Amino acid sequence: MIRKVIAVMAIGIVAAGTAQAADTIKVGAAQPLTGRFAFAGVQLNQGLADAFAWINENGGVKGRKIEYIFEDSGYQVDKAVAVFKKIMAEHKPVMFYGESTGLGKAIAPELNKTYKVLYGSTSFSSELADPKRYPYTFVSGPTYSDMFGVLLEYVAKNPKGGRPTVAFFYSDTEFGKDPIPYARKKAKELGVDVVAEIVAKVGAVDVTSEVLALVKKKPAYVIMHGFVLSPIPQVIRGVRDYGLDTEFMGTFWSMSQMIIDKLGEDADGYMGINPYAYYYETGVPMIQNMRAFNAKHHPDVKHRPNSYIQGWFTGLVFARCAEICLENGWEVKGDNLVKALESIRDWDVGGLMPPVTFVNHKIPVGRVYKADVQKKRFVPASDWIRLK
Amino acid sequence: MLIGDFKETYAADEALLRTPTVRVWVGVLVVGLVLFPFVAGDYLVYLADLVGITVISAIGLNLLTGFTGLISLGHAAFMGVGAYTAAGLAARWGLPLWVTLPAAGASAALFGVIVGAPSLRIKGLYLAMATLAAQVIAEFAFVHLEPITGGIRGINVPAPSLLGFELGSDRALYGPIVAVAALGTWFAANLKRSAPGRAFVAVRDRDISAELMGISLFQTKLRAFALGSFYAGVAGALWAYFMKVVTPEHFPLTMSIHYLAVVIVGGLGTVIGSIFGAVFMTLVPEGLRALAGMVRPYYPEAMTVLSPLSDVVFGGLIVGFLLFEPHGLAEVWQRTKRFFRLWPFVH
Repeated sequence: MIRKVIAVMAIGIVAAGTAQAADTIKVGAAQPLTGRFAFAGVQLNQGLADAFAWINENGGVKGRKIEYIFEDSGYQVDKAVAVFKKIMAEHKPVMFYGESTGLGKAIAPELNKTYKVLYGSTSFSSELADPKRYPYTFVSGPTYSDMFGVLLEYVAKNPKGGRPTVAFFYSDTEFGKDPIPYARKKAKELGVDVVAEIVAKVGAVDVTSEVLALVKKKPAYVIMHGFVLSPIPQVIRGVRDYGLDTEFMGTFWSMSQMIIDKLGEDADGYMGINPYAYYYETGVPMIQNMRAFNAKHHPDVKHRPNSYIQGWFTGLVFARCAEICLENGWEVKGDNLVKALESIRDWDVGGLMPPVTFVNHKIPVGRVYKADVQKKRFVPASDWIRLK
Repeated sequence: MLIGDFKETYAADEALLRTPTVRVWVGVLVVGLVLFPFVAGDYLVYLADLVGITVISAIGLNLLTGFTGLISLGHAAFMGVGAYTAAGLAARWGLPLWVTLPAAGASAALFGVIVGAPSLRIKGLYLAMATLAAQVIAEFAFVHLEPITGGIRGINVPAPSLLGFELGSDRALYGPIVAVAALGTWFAANLKRSAPGRAFVAVRDRDISAELMGISLFQTKLRAFALGSFYAGVAGALWAYFMKVVTPEHFPLTMSIHYLAVVIVGGLGTVIGSIFGAVFMTLVPEGLRALAGMVRPYYPEAMTVLSPLSDVVFGGLIVGFLLFEPHGLAEVWQRTKRFFRLWPFVH
């Protein structure tokens, strides 16, 4: 009798387990909603949440809904790991979105050995786009190295007279230094002269010596990386005061609306790479979906920065991987999701990016945008540039 | 109520655990700590490890700041030195835990002594400045001494080994962390009632009188620095194994300040205060987050508002504590104990 009861109970538990698994696809997230990355974290989180809500509204992934579970991690590694473990223990999601490069590195050993879930993040670090060391991790766009690659290709094609020259201006952080070795190599390959490398502190106010160094070398382009805002405005204003027509370029985090608003007139001509279409671009079907969704659910919101779009796009990637698993009749779990991710070729994302192909768990593609001060927005300055 | 508790020898009167009740409760605690990893989930074990590391480091800072009165804003740097030592030794030469932990402590102690040397001449806010400088220098060194520290990307730490066992998971690390924390607590509690420990307190309360009593200020202060940073170094080494990667961003100035908050909230100059402070400062934010999480099923988007709010609540709690219990959680504990000592005949 007892044995029978246990057997029935066991079947019940297994059935309940599978029934629940068939219900929803769970995605966990440790989001930097507070702390110094919160300015982007709130938007990244909203983008991801909205993408899932939009997918669910439109029938889900092959009829299955996505359940999104997030918690604040405050941009601190120890807290973020705690959030990761908590969500993994309580909800057992099959995919996870992390707050930083640091979190990706800290959980990597256990991710590879124990947890085995598909892991995306806010990070564009080149270090994480390495399927050998981080088999479950992907970067939802180009890495910082790729961003430099795209910018340098643009510089090589638009040399502004003679041999193209460029200066690298980066911060003394992991974020800032990440792409520099690759960028040096790439510049050499493309025949671009790197005339100066300047390292500055994030948030520096007095940048006189850095500006003087730039004025002395007179590069045609300066690529600034590893900052969000300060000292970018100070440097641009400083160099403009000397009457130089150097073109300034930025990478993803310094390509949001904030920089145009802060710089005002001086933003004219500021360029940079963005891997996704902007929220105000017309004629992009996915952006129209996004706008329609926002008009319905967040009627007060007028603009969404590129961090929101990163979140939304990552949401699409998660959903696509799950969809591929379901199409092929694979169980939706880490290893299969990775296999699905690696199989993505020329995937149409409604113009948010050109057709997406994952190469080494990243998408080495981007577009150079230029600030238009009259319109107060970024407009495309090049076509999509795909790195080989 | 405690009755019939008579001591017949000095040794019995000086024992760490003086009454049968205390011995029973400590026994319960020990059994609880031993059983914990076998029953708790991954998340709780992770938090326990984090609390354990914080306890070790906080005791170190309490010995330095609470007992000896030498304020330090460089505690994160001491932890960092220990973490990098352990990470370097483990990653480069594959040395086991029982070598890397003492080595990490020793290197941090050496660094602490160097940083602490000016403390003979300066104290109070001035010493805070000097230790702040040490923090800045250490952070700079972590970034720029690339051959040793791996620069900005840091060092990936292999799983530690102890007696042939590989301690890869948080659950496996729980053992060493709790053992070291227990050892550290026991040592500090004993130190407190010995001559060197009383010398610390004498220096804190009035350095001139201490010197008149024959206490060497220089030696005592340096000893406090060495000891405090030894604890920090060992905690840092465990942190390195625990986080599995060490980067300069792990040991910012805010972490030093966090540790000062831990010992102040816990109770300056008490060993048990360091433990209470570590538990409080680690678990309360987690608890607040869990509370915020409880509304998730009803208002999924409430988290975006509640998360920043829980920081505010946490800040308010700290201010409240300082206002209503300036001696920290240790004093609350003492009061609770006093209450039960006479209970139910309070008057």
